[in-house]
Amino acid sequence: MLIEVRNFSRSYGTRPAVSDLDFTVRRGELFGLIGPDGAGKTTTMRTLVTLLRPDAGTLTVAGNDAVRDTRSIRSMIGYMPQRFSLYPDLSVEQNLRFFGELFSVPKTELPARLERLYRFSRLQPFARRLAGRLSGGMKQKLALSCTLIHNPVLLVLDEPTTGVDPVSRHEFWDILRELRTQGVTILVSTPYMDEARLCDRIVIMHEGRALAQGTPDELIASRPATLTSLAPSLEDVFISLIEENTRHAN
Amino acid sequence: MQRIFYLVQKEFRQIFRDRAMIGILFVMPLIQITLLGYAITTDVKNVDIVFADLDRTPMSRAFLQRFGHTPYFHPVGVEDDERALPSWLDHGRARLAVVVPTHFQRDIVLGRRPQLQVLVDGIDGNTAGVSLGYLTRIAQQYQSDIIAHDPSLGLRLRDIRLTETETRFLFNPMMESKAYVVPGIVALILLIITVFLTSMGIVREKEIGTLEQLTVTPIRASQLILGKVIPFSILGFVEITVAMGFIYLIFGIAVEGSVLLLFAESAVFVLTTLGVGIFISTISETQQQALFVGWFFMIFAILLSGFFIPIANMPDAVQYLTYLNPLRYFLVILREIYLKGTPLSLLLPETLAMMAFGIGVFGLAVLRYRNVLR
Repeated sequence: MLIEVRNFSRSYGTRPAVSDLDFTVRRGELFGLIGPDGAGKTTTMRTLVTLLRPDAGTLTVAGNDAVRDTRSIRSMIGYMPQRFSLYPDLSVEQNLRFFGELFSVPKTELPARLERLYRFSRLQPFARRLAGRLSGGMKQKLALSCTLIHNPVLLVLDEPTTGVDPVSRHEFWDILRELRTQGVTILVSTPYMDEARLCDRIVIMHEGRALAQGTPDELIASRPATLTSLAPSLEDVFISLIEENTRHAN
Repeated sequence: MQRIFYLVQKEFRQIFRDRAMIGILFVMPLIQITLLGYAITTDVKNVDIVFADLDRTPMSRAFLQRFGHTPYFHPVGVEDDERALPSWLDHGRARLAVVVPTHFQRDIVLGRRPQLQVLVDGIDGNTAGVSLGYLTRIAQQYQSDIIAHDPSLGLRLRDIRLTETETRFLFNPMMESKAYVVPGIVALILLIITVFLTSMGIVREKEIGTLEQLTVTPIRASQLILGKVIPFSILGFVEITVAMGFIYLIFGIAVEGSVLLLFAESAVFVLTTLGVGIFISTISETQQQALFVGWFFMIFAILLSGFFIPIANMPDAVQYLTYLNPLRYFLVILREIYLKGTPLSLLLPETLAMMAFGIGVFGLAVLRYRNVLR
């Protein structure tokens, strides 16, 4: 197990954001946190990458505790927040080099890393362009490249494709799947069901709770066919789970 | 250590990416020095003055003529009747009115002391006081010149034995306010650069989200702070060096004392302002907020520093408040080093006060920064 989240709860003031969340991610998995806005995906990720403290429960990455071992976790993960940020007034290459330097990538190794990242992102021709002048899709790829520069064991991506055009989205997921074949574990959040379908395993979240988890196929199979949908899609599963949850709450 | 270097390098790349910044670096001190040096002046010149000459003798006329020969006064008219004078003041056509009494010449010749009546427009108390002083000087000068030219008169007056005080102003012999104001500008420039650039530099990264990005790298909070603080301090020192050059070129005022000491004292002062800058960044979410809070701090720091208003003129409670203002100490230190060449041994109280503040404020700001941003 690379990630273990046990009984994790966190609230902002009196409003609970995540309650009693449990899930585990194996090494090499592409794992999805699926849910609408306000489901608690971002809170979970931010706690895992040591930016927030949990109110209760434990979160570990490769056995390192997210509260105590912040520095060792930080050096092994690549985190890309929802609104990833580059320095718009630095060039593509300057941004990449800067993050490489901060993660103490050896100087001798940096050129090889850059070349590898340029190969999959196809940003080589824009190496000298200012990051602020890139298109949305290219910015996203540069952001991903920056989080990959130190060869992280775990990639944590918070809604990486929200607001990205369909073509770039597709390309982005191709890159993610390629990364997985190279052995990088990826924890990704998304509100899109078509993207959820591409994950190895997912946990469906709603209002801070895990409603179900498993492979996308398992989750679909767990729902019986109904009159309205003979062959339920992941989307149907998701909607019926949420309806059920709301009924329980009332 | 190497990470700090990369942070500093990145910061400078960003600063110099902006071509306008380089202009600002050199133009800002130039404008501030020229504008403030010439505009903020307590020197009084060209005061409109009106006379009522009731004596109309050679002596009274010679006396009045003297006012035309100084840069301090600008005679605007001579009346025959003193009752005409108040209307000059009422309408703002003159700020000072002098009545030369009848028998002015006769009284002088007889060794009596004629009395001049002076009406002053007191709205601007400072100008009124200073111009009255000039007027007294002119009258005294006139009196002593007459005595010098007329030995018999001198003989008669010897018994009266006038005690004359002669004032000599040291360090700023011409009593020019620019000599007093201009070194203060060095402090202002340092204040602006370090408080504003530091707080806005950090808040800007908060705004675009890179600060969070930096937080999840293995950098320590202290390294992050140093990476921000070092470039802006360097910039601040470059800036004051440029400023001192301009001050010499424009006003011919050079540093009388040790330039090294001046830089060392500046470093102590900058500790406080950087602390304030970091503190502001922890309570602001946007650059506008940081700018607003920065201004709020700066206005108070300047008003309570004695830069414009002498601290001795303030109410007691406010005077105690100024002891909490690091700029107050730094201004004293700057002027002492700049104009008098005072050595460190005589500046120890101010230096120690400033150092205590610097370490305190900087330390608190860093602690707060670590708590807010982990």
